[in-house]
Amino acid sequence: AKHLTMSPPKMPDLSTSTKHKYVKLGYQYLVNNFLTLLLIPILAYTALELFRMGPEEILNHLNSLNFNLLHILCSSFLIIFVSTVYFMSKPRTIYLVDYSCFKPPVTCRVPFATFMEHSRLNLIDSPKSVEFQMRILERSGLGEETCLPPAIHYIPPTPTMDAARSEAELVIFTAMDDLFKKTGLKPKDIDILIVNCSLFSPTPSLSAMIINKYKLRSNIKSLNLSGMGCSASLISVDVARDLLQVHPNSNAVIVSTEIITPNYYQGKERAMLLPNCLFRMGAAAILLSNRRSDRWRAKYKLCHLVRTHRGAEDKSYYCVYQQEDDESHVGINLNKDLMAIAGEALKSNITTIGPLVLPASEQLLFLTSLIGRKIFNAKWKPYIPDFKMAFEHFCIHAGGRAVIDELQKNLQLSAEHVEASRMTLHRFGNTSSSSLWYELSYIEAKGKMKRGDRVWQIAFGSGFKCNSAVWKSNRTIKTPTEGPWSDCIDRYPVFIPEVVKL
Amino acid sequence: MGRSQEKGQGPIYNMRLSTVGATRATETGTTHEPTGLDLAMKLHYLKAAYIYTPEMARDLSVTHVKEAIFKLFDQIAWTTGRLWRRDSGRPYIKCNDCGARFVEGKCNFTVEEWLSKPDRSVDEFLVYHQPVGPELPFSPLIYVQMTRFKCRGLAFGLSWANIMGDSFSLFYAFNLWVKVLSGEKIYAPETSIIDRRFQNPNPTVKDPESIKQVDPVGDLWITPSNKKMVSYCFNLTVTDQMSPHFPANGDDQIPVFEILAGIIWKNIAKVREDPEPLTVTIIRKDPNDLKPIRSIRNSQMISSVHVDSPVAEATVEELVRCIERATDERCGIDEIGGSCDGSLDFIVYGAKLAFMDLSEVDLYEAKVMGKSPESVYCNVEGIGEEGLVVVYAAAKSEERVVTMTLPEEEMERVKSEFKKCGLIAP
Repeated sequence: AKHLTMSPPKMPDLSTSTKHKYVKLGYQYLVNNFLTLLLIPILAYTALELFRMGPEEILNHLNSLNFNLLHILCSSFLIIFVSTVYFMSKPRTIYLVDYSCFKPPVTCRVPFATFMEHSRLNLIDSPKSVEFQMRILERSGLGEETCLPPAIHYIPPTPTMDAARSEAELVIFTAMDDLFKKTGLKPKDIDILIVNCSLFSPTPSLSAMIINKYKLRSNIKSLNLSGMGCSASLISVDVARDLLQVHPNSNAVIVSTEIITPNYYQGKERAMLLPNCLFRMGAAAILLSNRRSDRWRAKYKLCHLVRTHRGAEDKSYYCVYQQEDDESHVGINLNKDLMAIAGEALKSNITTIGPLVLPASEQLLFLTSLIGRKIFNAKWKPYIPDFKMAFEHFCIHAGGRAVIDELQKNLQLSAEHVEASRMTLHRFGNTSSSSLWYELSYIEAKGKMKRGDRVWQIAFGSGFKCNSAVWKSNRTIKTPTEGPWSDCIDRYPVFIPEVVKL
Repeated sequence: MGRSQEKGQGPIYNMRLSTVGATRATETGTTHEPTGLDLAMKLHYLKAAYIYTPEMARDLSVTHVKEAIFKLFDQIAWTTGRLWRRDSGRPYIKCNDCGARFVEGKCNFTVEEWLSKPDRSVDEFLVYHQPVGPELPFSPLIYVQMTRFKCRGLAFGLSWANIMGDSFSLFYAFNLWVKVLSGEKIYAPETSIIDRRFQNPNPTVKDPESIKQVDPVGDLWITPSNKKMVSYCFNLTVTDQMSPHFPANGDDQIPVFEILAGIIWKNIAKVREDPEPLTVTIIRKDPNDLKPIRSIRNSQMISSVHVDSPVAEATVEELVRCIERATDERCGIDEIGGSCDGSLDFIVYGAKLAFMDLSEVDLYEAKVMGKSPESVYCNVEGIGEEGLVVVYAAAKSEERVVTMTLPEEEMERVKSEFKKCGLIAP
């Protein structure tokens, strides 16, 4: 498939001269601290004046203003009133207390050789399709430790509804038990529960399954999002955020997962075999809270969340499409233009989030470049704002190697910035909506998360959507961390060859 | 192909195949090189079936069993690899963690009903088997079958490519596995190249009798045969059925295997007249190898016995003495097996009438939940036309089990000879 051939990302041209670098640095410092720089001379002048006048003259000045009790009272009331209105109407801060990722049991491991052998046996009449899968796997960026659910290990796979429910129970309950342990949360204290799982939606819902298992409260606000693709985790966070604005002193548990069992494509259409090669078992459970008491122990604070939907365009709508093939096997058809559409969706999202996060210097440059292109010369190269100035860490949804390559190129990120995404793809495969959380866990496990660091999570999904969230780290996370990376973090980062010889 | 392959005719139904392997990823590029002796055995597959009663096995689920196998393969990950050929054509094992095939099946009999069948070769149904090939890189070397009986008893059947290791290795691996099932921690030391050389090489044997070259089989490793081979398995008591043939001379150390081999050899010679089996192969544990088996390799001693006078007229004592003087031919086999870069194909079991002695192995040590198996069955797949007799321990120490694989045309007559001399009940 064309969209998977990758060219190595072009490294940003390291400034030929240090002079250029210093000019840029100086400009950024000037623009970003403009107000401060303006304030300093004013303060200096005032201070000088006060010094000059001396204390007696100051008192005379104040007396001449003729303050009386009424004036003072009214002014005080005004100040108090304005402050109250300000604090009341400020949106509640949403804290991410903690989260946990599901670590698959080792018995679910699928080495490349096993995957290929099963592929040959299952598609015994379609050697071309087997050949295609092998080429995808070689270039996929996955490692030898990714996991598929037990039902898929059979030859042929046995995707019964029971097996799907078993997988759901395994991944979700394990993640939630771990979350309870980490945060000390009691099941009865959960106020809001949001589950997102795109392709498996039984009745009763997965959220009902959780409520049943943990005996949650009867007045819980539960939600089950299905069909919303790989970016659904951030949609859940968005919904949780809105609900937490309305309900004071509450917490929300979000469970993001994708159940592989019922969705393993059993046909031979090449465009639909791709997900089989990439999607793997995974789940994440996240605890959000708007309680001030959680301020001290929370890991992150939610700063921004931007959702972009390109579904209005047919091209975007049809690019990831679930359908039946000629033999009535259901699978997900990935269009060849996927990367281009992802790029466009990203641009849309960036246009909205840019002004919220970029420092003034970058915004000014971008604006100038935009005006220049519109008015003077359309051929001017568009200025790509340097997002590395706005964020310390990036979590790009590990949808596939091509997605990460594309974003690295578009945002001009270094290999270190996309390391979390690449290593997550290698160790866990594409775990769909939960992959952002595995990536965040990687960054923490590597000891790179310091207090005040800003993280940008970007996810793409069918629809076509691009959702992104910005978190600010509340405290420095100490290693070693407990999580899915605890037993293997020392082996990472690994070098992932372009083509693995099978 | 084994009996168990006949679809719809066997007593095992609801068969589901999956794959099991090791939990850790093996480093890319790791390989395992077979020795000449390994290559000589490549057309043979070793089989064993262990049956456990419901008391022991009722609570063992497929998940438990698979988890235990994963832990076992962590120790011997190379056995989950696949065979590839070098440019010269020499086969080697690429350690790519591909895995062993795991087969789940159900049986409509209870363990008691199953064990009441007189011919224990029904246990062949408990061992799923497929030969290596026609595509080497996609053929598992190990098949594990887990059969659930109607009463919740369990049977584990292993089919094991002889190129990896001998029967002793198979039992060693199985014992490790049941240890894990019982919750113990296991450790299998890595087998170095040095370990895989056998003690006391006998370089004098240049033309070993026990190995025979067969027509090239290409990449489908099945022993070519013009005759249909059948198996028959029976128990016998040492004192009752064997003593009449070999008067006890006050020595309490009677060579049970040698006597049994002698008796059976004589009876087969009575049936098989043209040509008479004047040379037989003896396969047993290397007596010079004092270390307990702690590795997967071909360490079995393969020796040859030749008599000049007709066997049917010889006494059992004479035959026993000849067997005791068998010549170790492994050196010669190793050399021949590795010649021409492993591109030639040979058979050892059944090249000549062969007798395999597994009686020194305590098969009933393979305890699950502290209880020994009810029954253990051993045999080999891919035996040549001359046949094979396997002798091994039974549940009771004074008994032995004999599994005979002979051409169909001979089997009934051999059985009647056995009835005549009292080895089998009439």
